[in-house]
Amino acid sequence: MKFNLSALRPLWTGLLVVTVLAVTGAAIRPFEDPAWQFVRAKQPALKLDSLQGALGQGVTVGLLGGFRAIVADFFWIKTNSVWEDNDLPATQTFIKLVTAIDPRPLYFWQNGARMIAYDMPNWRIVKEGGYDAVPQARQRHIDEEQSEVALKYLREAFGHHPNSALLHIEIANVYLNRLKDNVSAAEAYRKAAALPSAPYYAARIYAELLRRQGRHQEAYAWLKQLYPTLPQVADPAKGITEFQVQSAMAPVVLDRIREVEAELKVPENKRFRP
Amino acid sequence: MNTAFPFPLAGRPVPFSPGRLGIVAGNTFLEAVRQKLFNFLLLLAVALVASAQLFREFNFGSSELKFISDFGFGAMVFFGSTLTIAATAQLFFSEIENRTALTILAKPIWRTEFIFGKFLGVFAVVGVFCALTTLLLLALLYQRETALMNANPEAFEHGRIIHYGDLVLMGVLQWLKFGVLAAITLLIASFSNTNLYTVVMGFFVLVICHLQYLARDAYGQVASLPLRLLVRMLGYVFPNFQVFNLADQIGIGEGIDPGIFLRVAGYALIYIAVIGGLAVYSFRNREI
Amino acid sequence: MTHPNPASAIEITGLTKDFSLNLRGIKLRAVENLTLNIPEGQVFGLLGPNGSGKSTTIKIILGLLEPTVGECKVFGVPSGRVDSRLNVGYLPEAPYFYRYLSGTELVRFYGRICGVPRKQLDDRVREVIDWVGLSAAAHRRVGTYSKGMLQRIGLAQALVHDPRLIILDEPTAGVDPVGSAEISELIQKLKAQGKTVLITSHLLAQIEDICDRVAILDRGKLILEGAVDDLVGLRDRQSLIVDSLPPAELDELRGWLAARGHVLNAVEQPRTRLDQLFLSKVSRPKKEGDSR
Repeated sequence: MKFNLSALRPLWTGLLVVTVLAVTGAAIRPFEDPAWQFVRAKQPALKLDSLQGALGQGVTVGLLGGFRAIVADFFWIKTNSVWEDNDLPATQTFIKLVTAIDPRPLYFWQNGARMIAYDMPNWRIVKEGGYDAVPQARQRHIDEEQSEVALKYLREAFGHHPNSALLHIEIANVYLNRLKDNVSAAEAYRKAAALPSAPYYAARIYAELLRRQGRHQEAYAWLKQLYPTLPQVADPAKGITEFQVQSAMAPVVLDRIREVEAELKVPENKRFRP
Repeated sequence: MNTAFPFPLAGRPVPFSPGRLGIVAGNTFLEAVRQKLFNFLLLLAVALVASAQLFREFNFGSSELKFISDFGFGAMVFFGSTLTIAATAQLFFSEIENRTALTILAKPIWRTEFIFGKFLGVFAVVGVFCALTTLLLLALLYQRETALMNANPEAFEHGRIIHYGDLVLMGVLQWLKFGVLAAITLLIASFSNTNLYTVVMGFFVLVICHLQYLARDAYGQVASLPLRLLVRMLGYVFPNFQVFNLADQIGIGEGIDPGIFLRVAGYALIYIAVIGGLAVYSFRNREI
Repeated sequence: MTHPNPASAIEITGLTKDFSLNLRGIKLRAVENLTLNIPEGQVFGLLGPNGSGKSTTIKIILGLLEPTVGECKVFGVPSGRVDSRLNVGYLPEAPYFYRYLSGTELVRFYGRICGVPRKQLDDRVREVIDWVGLSAAAHRRVGTYSKGMLQRIGLAQALVHDPRLIILDEPTAGVDPVGSAEISELIQKLKAQGKTVLITSHLLAQIEDICDRVAILDRGKLILEGAVDDLVGLRDRQSLIVDSLPPAELDELRGWLAARGHVLNAVEQPRTRLDQLFLSKVSRPKKEGDSR
């Protein structure tokens, strides 16, 4: 009987190991949970069903196993190599794949949208015979189509970066540079400028776009309200750096105010006084 | 040979000795270091530097730093896991296969001291690995960030974008995770017969620990009760390795909360103690 | 802790050891109902063919294995306890040590494990290495040692904490006759110091020369035990070795013996033993110079 028992020892040890681990796991759960929630909150859900077709089994396990950032990086490098070949369908697929895998880096969204809006129309026009052969109307149509794709893609990005001024700026630039739509571009710049993370130039460009539309009164009001908010001297105590002062360009804004005042023929005594 | 030793006679209690544990740990560390470990580290360092150079080709701008940090930590996680499992299994089975375990366990030493000594030796080896790779990564990032800052100041409006302190904390967390992994490998080794089996099982458990959160998530969605209990059990039996990825976008973006960091570190240490204890229990029954 | 029998270094009572081969309870009985008493201060030989249970018995004495039934005490302490090994030195069969350590580092390591006081450690390590004749090779890595040198460094690590009981498992297996003779000499020296030595071997001639007592195991069972002289000495016979006698003088001697009621049983040409011939002809290397 004795040796039968000792033969069962490995089983007994295995059972003990599993039991102790399970009890530990259950006991430690309340201690672990806050940390796990913290980690979880930083990780957007993986929409695996939309990815599975494009990825192999191993890559999927890698994604689930916590290697999202590096898998996305790999695919971004791949995106760049198909981009160099002007391969439109592949580039478009990889751009979307990268942000589906890891939507957190803004960099992917910005650069993906630029490829779609600025490079792909070129490729299409070249493919259809070049700028000289393709009629202007057709070129315009292609620009509009690609811009639409880019804008849709950028709007999707707000789901992950709701407060990103740079995304609004990206949208504004597509309207401005590709669609020559000053009204929509201005609106996007205004939204960007309203966000705390906005670069100083967003507010300045908004005013410029208002002026281009002939909305001088609005531009004047905007600039007058903007000027006092701009840093003029570096102050380390307040966290104002020399670089910020330089990029805020308060003197330039004042120049613009004077220009608008001239355009609006504002009397000397009613002019803006900083 | 006539030195008289005032030696304790048989029957005098032999208390657990951190000193002996340290001697075993030191010897284990020395064995690893005098083997090919440092070649491995050197290779990794070269690979890291080379891959960092590669990203320059793409002209990613300030995002190059993200790529360097992602790939650097990816390499650290991958090679570190491999090193941990392989070194633990190798350093354990070299004792068994070369019968040095016989010689050492025939001395007045507790098996607890032996097992935890082995653990600490491996933990130190992996610690050196983590420290070196983290330092190398920090140096690479700092050097590239400085270069990029000079080339493109607009992208660094608010100063440096890399949180170097967080990178160090992440290195520490990976080290602790490898500690849990080493304890798991030692537990497997304590009852397994071959090095290969231990390594294969070690990797298997590593993958499960990385995916165990899926079982936790799936718990509510499983309909049948027995399967549900099994899923719940899986979630409890295996430690959650995902919790160590406190900053997935490493060193960039939001910082690491010190409270959460300490919590995760505590989580690792508790697991090391429990799994190490189980390894000791299993090893005490092992017939050498 | 008191010693119930202070004259016993090892007391084995009713010891049985089974190894389970599978979960259905099929087992291998390595040692069966062994009772053995090894007195202090003797050189005791544990003999038997391969697989007879010698190594299992030794592992139980060292606490590396647990007995299935019965008990084993070392200096009165059950062998499963850590403190039973305080005064025991062990040289395993075909020892293979940490290759990356030098001889000195290796012995030092084991000395520290055994708790040799730090102040005495360096002296003690030097002393045992010198004693086994490895001083010149002490700073070489163990990985470069020959088999004979490995045995000697193994002996040094077994002796570093000055144990009262030394267990040597097949100490001469795979060692050439020169090395083997040297190990025999070392064992004799240990005996002279009053140590108890337990040695296993299947080289019977060698055991016969150095052991006081032997036990023979076969398939796990003790089949013979006693003092070597009692076991192999033919007490009713004597041999005389004389110069070569011509046939006539031999006949005369036979007659002389017959007259006194004795019989001349055999007349043989005495031979020297081959190992002794070998040792006398082969140059014995200076211990320090031993190398591959």
